[in-house]
Amino acid sequence: MTDTVTIQDRQSKVTRWLLIPGIVWMSLFLVVPIAMIVYVSFWTQTTFNISSDPTLASWKQFFSSDTYTGSLWTTIRIWLIVLATTFIVGYPTALFVGLFVKSKTLSTVLLVVCVIPFWTSFLIRVLAWRPMLGKEGAINIVLLKIGIIQQPIEVLLFTELSVIIGMTQIYCVFMVGPIAFMLSRIDRNIIEAARDLGAGFGRIFWKIIFPLSLPGVVVGAIFVSVMVLGEFATSGALSGRKVNLLGNIIVTQVGSLKWAMASVVGVVLTIVMGIVIAGLLRIVDLKREL
Amino acid sequence: MDTSVFRLEGVTKRYGDLVALNDASLEVGANEYLSFLGPSGSGKTTLLRVIAGFEAPEAGRIYFEGRDITNVQAHERGIGFVFQNFALFPHLTVMQNVGFGLTHGKPAMAASEVERRAAEMIDLVGLSGMEGRGVDQISGGQRQRVALARTLAMRPKLVLLDEPLGALDANLRSRMRSELRAIRERLGVTFLHVTGSETEALAMGDRVVVLDRGTIIQTGTPGEVYDSPASPDVAHFLNRYNLFDGTLSKGNFTGSFGAVSAPSATRAERDVYAVRYDRVKVLPLSAKASDGPALKATFIASEYLGSSIMNFFDAGQGHLVEMEHHLSLGAPEIYEPKQDYLLTWNPEQAIVFGREATI
Repeated sequence: MTDTVTIQDRQSKVTRWLLIPGIVWMSLFLVVPIAMIVYVSFWTQTTFNISSDPTLASWKQFFSSDTYTGSLWTTIRIWLIVLATTFIVGYPTALFVGLFVKSKTLSTVLLVVCVIPFWTSFLIRVLAWRPMLGKEGAINIVLLKIGIIQQPIEVLLFTELSVIIGMTQIYCVFMVGPIAFMLSRIDRNIIEAARDLGAGFGRIFWKIIFPLSLPGVVVGAIFVSVMVLGEFATSGALSGRKVNLLGNIIVTQVGSLKWAMASVVGVVLTIVMGIVIAGLLRIVDLKREL
Repeated sequence: MDTSVFRLEGVTKRYGDLVALNDASLEVGANEYLSFLGPSGSGKTTLLRVIAGFEAPEAGRIYFEGRDITNVQAHERGIGFVFQNFALFPHLTVMQNVGFGLTHGKPAMAASEVERRAAEMIDLVGLSGMEGRGVDQISGGQRQRVALARTLAMRPKLVLLDEPLGALDANLRSRMRSELRAIRERLGVTFLHVTGSETEALAMGDRVVVLDRGTIIQTGTPGEVYDSPASPDVAHFLNRYNLFDGTLSKGNFTGSFGAVSAPSATRAERDVYAVRYDRVKVLPLSAKASDGPALKATFIASEYLGSSIMNFFDAGQGHLVEMEHHLSLGAPEIYEPKQDYLLTWNPEQAIVFGREATI
């Protein structure tokens, strides 16, 4: 009896020690900064100065200005579109890599191939789209050469389309990975059992394969969402300043030392991300999958 | 009239250089329980997968209910398959699992009819009250029943079971054995049951098919297979025979136990002398048997099996000889470990295989 008590005692002591580094880290680099951003968003901003007198001025300005609310809607629109395109491109890829490729080695090789673009820096990957999509870029040259088009397509670069193309390419792999992982965990016998019970491929896909891969879709969607919602580099480099996401606003505001406004946008962005993640987590119970 | 439900004609399946099935032919009647016995790698699972349509054979034809189904897709064959690991749909409830084939197969069925038939099957396998449970919330034995009910709900004429009891513990296994038989008899369908366990094969099959290296080496009732194995390999798989190498010549078999008359012998590629475990008699070393087989062996250990005792002897060069004593025949004798004894048996009860066969 006394023995079990001491063991429990020891375990809870060990638990406490193991928790400390995490708690310290999270407090210093997550809790305190977020609290700070929320606090600064209520500071008073004048053209050349900022003081800690509490005011709602920056918040009012955010919600009354078309520029800021417009940027919020643009962010949400781009996020939804990129989420859809990464899913549309990513799911079939994951299906191939995770389910149709029978050899484990080959599917690992294919996943590594998906990751190869990450060997170059993020900014280079974004900027590489410029010579691809430009008026005299690779795509236009090829299309002109083979005679599909007579005039170069100008909407390819410095438009919302180019931002979407760039983001889809960059973030697609974050959708492919988790889905391929979930698909590769599906017991092949289950699929054979469904076949044996008379279900055709479509039924098997919608009733068995897709539901079982859903946790992967949710994890992938969370990855893509978090990254796209906080994006500023791709839209900055590929939109020609036409697409202003919340991230771009933060960059501009910080650049002109408008800390209060930057904080307001930061808080709004954090809240949006929180809602998105909470919503996605409601689709599946991820705890059951781990 | 063709009474067979199912027929295999010269079915051959290769994986690269490996011949998994070699010219397998078999005829199975209606309402029959057939068990396939063989060591792992003998092709028994491949055989089931070919029958189910998960694998295509390189040669041979498969007939089911008088129809050639060799090129028919798995989901159009109407043959049920029960997987060793049950392969239940993990995200569905017991009811949804059992109803899956009815809901999603062809022809589509009304929801009320699906529910009625699924409930009927759940009742048949004794899972009433569990319909709404997730399949990860039930025990191994219950999962086995769900797998069975899911297959039987489709009312197949032929059900293939791939080591269906392999994943269960011993206690449950013996209970499921009799239940499988009872369920099959009630529905009057044909079961093909693959197993690596000779006891299971003999206990469950109306007929036993023995496979080795992709070839069917014997087919017969459990009694026939048990009492007169067709080859040394069959005797070996049955795990009930001591096998001795030697030479058969002019009605005499010469082995480590001396020369013994062998009036009848079964044709085989090598000369082997087989004695059932429970036919072996143990004598003290002093009791020199006048004639007949006599084998000096060292007692190693014994194993208590409840209704009998297994005694293990070392006959030299690591050749293990087993002797079974049924406790109904009286109290067992106690042997001293590391002591030498003389093993003998009635030569008329032995089975002799050889190239000089008489039958």
